[in-house]
Amino acid sequence: MATVSFQQASRIYPKAERPAVDALDLEIADGEFLVLVGPSGCGKSTSLRMLAGLEEVDTGSIVIGDRDVTDSPPKERDIAMVFQNYALYPHMTVEENMGFALKLAGISKDERATRVREAAKILDLEPYLARRPKALSGGQRQRVAMGRAIVRNPQVFLMDEPLSNLDAKLRVQTRTQIAALQRRLGTTTVYVTHDQVEAMTMGDRVAVLKDGVLQQCDTPGELYDRPANVFVAGFIGSPAMNLVTGDAVDGGVQVGNAVLPVPREQLTRAAASNGKVTVGFRPEAVRLAGPGEGLPVRVDVVEQLGSDAFLYTSLADAPDDVLHSADLVVRTEPRSAVTTGQQLWLSTDRGAVHVFDAQTQQRVD
Amino acid sequence: MATLAPPVPDAGRSPSPAAPATRRRHRGGSKAGKPGPVTYTLLTLVALVSIFPLYWTLVAGSHTNAEIAATPPPFLPNASLFDNFQAALEQAPIGKAILNSVLVAGSITVGTVLFCTLAGFAFAKLQFRGKGVLLGLVIGTMMVPTQLAVIPLFMMIAELQWVNQLQAVILPTLVSAFGVFFMRQYLISALPNELLEAGRVDGASTFRIFWSIVVPVARPAMAVLAMLTFLTAWNEFFWPLIALTTANPTVQVALAGLGSGYVPQRSVIMAGTLLGTLPVLIVFTILGKQIVGGIMQGAVKG
Amino acid sequence: MTIASGTVREAAIAAPPPASAATSPARPRKRRQLTRNRWGYAYVAPFFLVFAAFSLYPFMYTAWVSLHETSLSNINGGTWVGLENYRNLLQSEFFWNATRNTFTIGILATVPQLCMALGLAHLLNYKLRGRTFFRTVMLMPYATSIAAATLVFSQLFGRDYGLINTMLEAVGLQAIDWEAGTVSSQVAIAVIVTWRWTGYNALIYLAAMQSIPGELYEAAEIDGASKWKQFLHVTIPSLRPTILFTIVVSTIGAVQLFGEPLLFAGNGTTSGGASGQYQTLGLLMYQQGWSNFHIGQAATTAWAMFMIILVIVGVNAVIGRLRNRADR
Repeated sequence: MATVSFQQASRIYPKAERPAVDALDLEIADGEFLVLVGPSGCGKSTSLRMLAGLEEVDTGSIVIGDRDVTDSPPKERDIAMVFQNYALYPHMTVEENMGFALKLAGISKDERATRVREAAKILDLEPYLARRPKALSGGQRQRVAMGRAIVRNPQVFLMDEPLSNLDAKLRVQTRTQIAALQRRLGTTTVYVTHDQVEAMTMGDRVAVLKDGVLQQCDTPGELYDRPANVFVAGFIGSPAMNLVTGDAVDGGVQVGNAVLPVPREQLTRAAASNGKVTVGFRPEAVRLAGPGEGLPVRVDVVEQLGSDAFLYTSLADAPDDVLHSADLVVRTEPRSAVTTGQQLWLSTDRGAVHVFDAQTQQRVD
Repeated sequence: MATLAPPVPDAGRSPSPAAPATRRRHRGGSKAGKPGPVTYTLLTLVALVSIFPLYWTLVAGSHTNAEIAATPPPFLPNASLFDNFQAALEQAPIGKAILNSVLVAGSITVGTVLFCTLAGFAFAKLQFRGKGVLLGLVIGTMMVPTQLAVIPLFMMIAELQWVNQLQAVILPTLVSAFGVFFMRQYLISALPNELLEAGRVDGASTFRIFWSIVVPVARPAMAVLAMLTFLTAWNEFFWPLIALTTANPTVQVALAGLGSGYVPQRSVIMAGTLLGTLPVLIVFTILGKQIVGGIMQGAVKG
Repeated sequence: MTIASGTVREAAIAAPPPASAATSPARPRKRRQLTRNRWGYAYVAPFFLVFAAFSLYPFMYTAWVSLHETSLSNINGGTWVGLENYRNLLQSEFFWNATRNTFTIGILATVPQLCMALGLAHLLNYKLRGRTFFRTVMLMPYATSIAAATLVFSQLFGRDYGLINTMLEAVGLQAIDWEAGTVSSQVAIAVIVTWRWTGYNALIYLAAMQSIPGELYEAAEIDGASKWKQFLHVTIPSLRPTILFTIVVSTIGAVQLFGEPLLFAGNGTTSGGASGQYQTLGLLMYQQGWSNFHIGQAATTAWAMFMIILVIVGVNAVIGRLRNRADR
C-alpha cells in the first residue's frame, strides 16, 4: 500500500509539438481508486505508463510511497498493471501467467501455487488454471489479467482501459466487480478510461485530462456539480451539459432574443474578460415553462428511453449563426405529450446554472 | 547465401486475439469455385512433371547402362539398384558426403535460427540508434550475388588453412539476411508490445524476456526458418564447390564430382544422385506440409 | 529492458514547455533510458559479427581485388593495375558472350516460369480435393538440389539415349543434340530452372491470392464480371507487388546461374559448351578464377554481375513506383 504522487511530471516525445503530459501534479492517497479520464490523445495512458516506468519522465518526478521512482525500471517499482488487450503470455497456462512474476521474484513453487489459487478463487478462475489464454472467453481473459495483478500484492495497481475489449453488458458487470475487489483489497489503484460513465462509477476521485494538461481532479459528485471549466462541464455527464455563450446584459446572458438570468455578482466577474459569458445547465435542470416565459425553443427530436425522455431542441427565434451552437437537451417525464416540431418555452432551476468566463473558460462562482 | 527468398514475410498467424478473425477472412478470400475435371487433369499433369525426373532417377539408377539405352526405355525400377549404389559409393564418397551435409546444414540451421531470431527481435521491437541504417544494410545485401564474396572468402580460408574443412562452408553461411528480415516481419505482427511491457512490469530481465516471452511466441516462425535454411544449406552448391574437394565433400560437391567423370556411367550417376537426394526427399515427405505452409505464410502480404 | 546509460542527458532536445520550465528548475541529472537503450546492439551483435566478417568484408575486398592483377597461386601478392581488369573485361568477347547467354537463358527461364506459376496458383486456389498433396508435390523440385536436378536432366536431354530424344523419335520427329546447339542447350537449361522453381513461385502467388478479400470478388460478381474478367481486374492487380517481387528475385537468381551450365555437359568443364554456347556470367567468373587462376579478372566479373543486378532492381523499382503513381 502506498501513496502515489506526480510532481510536475512531463513527457515530451521527440519531434512532438506539445508535451504528451504537461507538468502533471497529482497526489493519490493510500488505498484510493483514482481514475484518469479524457478524450483520446489527452495523455491519460501516457501518464499511467510514466507511473509504470514504461515511459520516460522528461521533467519532474514520480514518487510511490516515499520513494522517488522517476528513474527506476518497472520491476523496481512494485506495481502491477492490467493492459487493455490483457497481454497474457499466449504460451503459458492461466496458472503460469499468474505466477510468472512470483517466479521471477524467486518465490518458492509451493507459495506460488497457494497464492495463485487464492487469487483464482477470488476471481472465479479455479476451473481454468490449466488452460491457455486462447481457450478462454474475453471475460475470463480479463479476469486472468486481473489475477496476474492481484497475485503479486503490489503497492499500486495500474489499469489501462481494462474493460474496453468487453461487450457492453459484461463491461457493466465487471465494472462493479473491479470496484468491489479494489475496495476489498484496499490497494491504491490508478485506472485509465475514456468512458466518463466508467470514471464516475468507479473512482473515489476522477482526474480529467485534456491535451496533456490536468483540468480537474475531484470526487465524481464535485466534478458533476462544480466542473472547474467548460471542458469538464461538457465532458462529464450524459447527455452532456447544455452550454450557451452570449453577451452579458442586465440581469443575465443574452441568448437569442431571450435572457438567461444569472446573479449579478457572478455575471460581472464572468464578463470581466471580454463581456461574453458561457452558461451551462444540465438537461435535468431544465423545466418546461408557460408560453412566453423563458427561452423559446423548437423540438427537433424526441428520444423515449422508458425511464425518462430527452428532447433535442434548438432556439426558436435565434439568428442563424447561433442556431447550431445552441442546441439544448431537456430531460422530461417519459411519455410526455411533446412532439417533434412543437414550440416550447424553457426555464432553468435556480442555482443549477453554471457560469464560466467565455474567454478563460474557467468557472465563476 | 544466395537464397531465393519469398516476398515480405509476415506471419499473420499471430496468437493474439485478432488472429482468428484474420484467418477466417483469408479462407473466405479464396475463390470458392468448384474445380472441374480440366483443373484436376492439368494439376495431375503438373504433378507428374514435378515427380517424373525424380522417378526417372530411380528407374535409371536401378538398371544397367545397357538396359536404359534400350528402345523403348524401361519405365519401372529394376533389380540393379544396389549394385549401382555400390558402384556410386566406390566412385564418390557419398556416405561421407551425406554425413558432412548433415553436419554442415545442421550447424548452419542452428546458427541461422539463433542469430536471426536475436537480431530479428531487436529490429522488430527494440529502439536503438542506427537501427534503420543497419536494417537497410541487411536488406540491401540480399541483392548481392554470391560471386561477389567468394574470392576474399577463398583467400581467407586459404590463409586459415581451412580448405577442405567443414567450417569453411559452415561459417560464411551461419547467418542470413533473409532470416533476419523474416523473423523481424513475423515478430512485428505476432508479438504485441504489451507482452514485452507486461514482462517488464512482472520483473523479467532483458534476457528473461527474450527467453520466456519472445522465443515461445517466435517458435512457429523459427521452425519455418529452420526448415527453409536446412533445405537451402543442403542444396548450397557454389561455395562448397570452391571450398571443398571430393576428398571431403558435401553431397552437392560429391554429385558434381560424380557427374564430371570422364566415362559417364549413367546408371551409376543416377544411383548416386538418388542416394544424395534421398535424405531431403525423406525429410520433405515428412515435413512437406509444414514447408508448404511456411513458404506460403512467409509470402502473405506481398 | 533497461540499462543504466550513465550519460548525462543533453539539454532537452525538444524545448520544455514554458509552463513547466518556469515552475520546475531544469535539473541535469543522470537518467536511465527506459525505452531507448543499448540492448538492441547486444541482440544484433552476433549476427553482425558473422555478417561483417563473411559478407560485408568480402564484398568490399572483392572490389579491391578487382583492381589488381592477382593469381590464385599467389593470392596475397597482386600488382595494382587500376581499372585494367575492367577495360579487359569490356573488351573480352567471352564476357559479352556470357552476358548475352545469361540474358537469353534468364528470359527463357523466368518468363514462362512465372506465367506458369501464376496459372498454377489460380488452379490451386480452387477448393481442391487433395490440395495438400498437390501443393507438396509441386514443391518437390524446389527441394531437389541444382546438382541432382541437372544430372538428371542432362540424362533426359542426352543425345543418344536421352528419354526426350527417344520420345521425339517415337512421334516421328528428329532427335536433337541438345547440348551442342546454342538455342537448344539454353532452352534445356531454362527447363531445369523452370522445373525447380515453378512450384515454389506458384505457392507464393497462391498465398497472395488467398489474402485478397473475398468481398472484392463478390463485388465484381455483382457488377457482372466474368471469371476471366475477375482474374484480370481483381486478381492480377492485387498480385502486382508480389509479381514484381518474384520478377526481381528470379532475375537475381538468373544472373547468378552457375550450377546448371557447369554440370550440364557432364564432363565438368567450365567453358559452358564447346563454343561457350551456354557459358553464363556465373560460370565465366568461376572459369576465370578457378580454371585460369586469374582472380583479379574474376573479381571484376563478379562486380559486373552485381552492377547488372542493381540495374535490374532499379528498373523494377522505378516501374513499380510509376505504376503506383498511375494508380493514384
